[in-house]
Amino acid sequence: MSTSVTASDIGIHFQFDHERRVVTPTLARIRRRGADTWGLRNVNLELRPGEGVALLGPSGSGKTTLLRVLAGIYYPDEGTLTVNGRIGSLLSVDAGLLTLLTGRENAQLLGVLAGESRSATQAALDDICTRSKLGASFDRPVSSYSQGMRARLGFTVAERSNPSILLLDEVHEAFDHEWREIVRQRAESILAAGGIVVAAGHDHALLEKICTRAIYLESGEVRADGRFAEVQRSYLDAF
Amino acid sequence: MEQIAADRAAPRIARAARSAWHIDVLRALTAADLRARYGRGPIRMLRWLVDPFALVGVYLLLVTFIVNRPGFAPGLSLACAVVPFQLVMSTVMNAMSAVTTRRSIILNMAFPRTLLPVSSALTEAVGFLASFSLFVIMMAAYQVTPTVNVLWLPVLVVTSTIFAAAIAFPSLLFGLWFRELRPFALSFVRTLFFLGSGLVPLAATHGNVDTTLRLNPLTAIFESFREVLLFGKPPQAWQIVYPLVLAAATMAIFYPLYAREQRQFAKVVE
Repeated sequence: MSTSVTASDIGIHFQFDHERRVVTPTLARIRRRGADTWGLRNVNLELRPGEGVALLGPSGSGKTTLLRVLAGIYYPDEGTLTVNGRIGSLLSVDAGLLTLLTGRENAQLLGVLAGESRSATQAALDDICTRSKLGASFDRPVSSYSQGMRARLGFTVAERSNPSILLLDEVHEAFDHEWREIVRQRAESILAAGGIVVAAGHDHALLEKICTRAIYLESGEVRADGRFAEVQRSYLDAF
Repeated sequence: MEQIAADRAAPRIARAARSAWHIDVLRALTAADLRARYGRGPIRMLRWLVDPFALVGVYLLLVTFIVNRPGFAPGLSLACAVVPFQLVMSTVMNAMSAVTTRRSIILNMAFPRTLLPVSSALTEAVGFLASFSLFVIMMAAYQVTPTVNVLWLPVLVVTSTIFAAAIAFPSLLFGLWFRELRPFALSFVRTLFFLGSGLVPLAATHGNVDTTLRLNPLTAIFESFREVLLFGKPPQAWQIVYPLVLAAATMAIFYPLYAREQRQFAKVVE
């Protein structure tokens, strides 16, 4: 089965209590309700094999929300989502790492959570250490890491599980030039193998290297979807 | 024919692989939790052994060697209640913060979040096993000789852990929904210790008090430990069955709710 993502009329609904904290629908029935908003509404997408897609838009436009939906972190409150392929995600600056654990222990945990078996993850640890270029820091607590080191470890673990769909959210901007090139090469190899890369961020020059298509989001809705240069122009013209 | 057999076997193999992976996820979550708590290296074992003493050991030693309490082996009787209670109490505490402490993972990747409460119970069960050294000390202090019925201990451990795992599901939801009320929930669980046969063994009560105390599932757990370690008898059937039935009832009520709510965890911890 080839890699693909199809989203039909996706909606993500956030409900708040009177102190502006997000609450679940069940809790919203118990607590005094506050406002509610749609993080995404009526989003229709079809991502095809070999497609690199950039998500553009101002902060709070729904880019991260959409990436989390694609990663299976948020469940659509309306609409349907079909994902064929193995997902690798790097969606936050802390890369899903637990700061009290060492790089090795985090790699062990995240590798299993990403879908690998415990034994396969165990066997891959030295390789992850080498590829993340963390050296002796690999056995130190992640609380001592810089943002770049965390992103390197998170990315190495995510791509070690051999994803056919790679999701990146701004965190790749924490990388130095050498690692940006590594991310670009890895993204290209996924695309060449018929995979899909979806990346969000404000570094358009970097996104353009990976993505031929772009989706412009604003207020949780798709404003434009098409070739990168055209969509980027419509986004920048909006200001 | 061979193709048909292969087609029929495929879903079973996929299910088996998925179950094996779920076990791996459970082990990985629990191991990470334990590493965060006990650290790493040789000091880890020391911390694991010393932790129960820091929590309840000093109190039990005080009761055994300093305070003159009536009854047969009062320190051991108390340990039979305090040690399993500590498993329940710490599981509730762990579960209530299980989502917030794993916030970074929950916001970065999808994984079976239904395993989080079970992982909380397993983490605390490891600490619970270290508490067994307290039983050894108490039995030695009161010169209580263990009988062959100590072989029931694994059954009691499994029963207590299943009960703790079941209540971890509503505890996790409560901790997430009402973060500001977590201390209240802990006080409520602590009250259950006193509303069970925690301080006073069931044998020392009578009439309506006896019947009322039996309604508390913790009473069944406490008394099962007393039967085996204090009196050297096998546990009574109700002491095993009652907590398991209540665990099943808790799961029947809260698992469907949990399964629905876990879809919203990432939104709530954002």
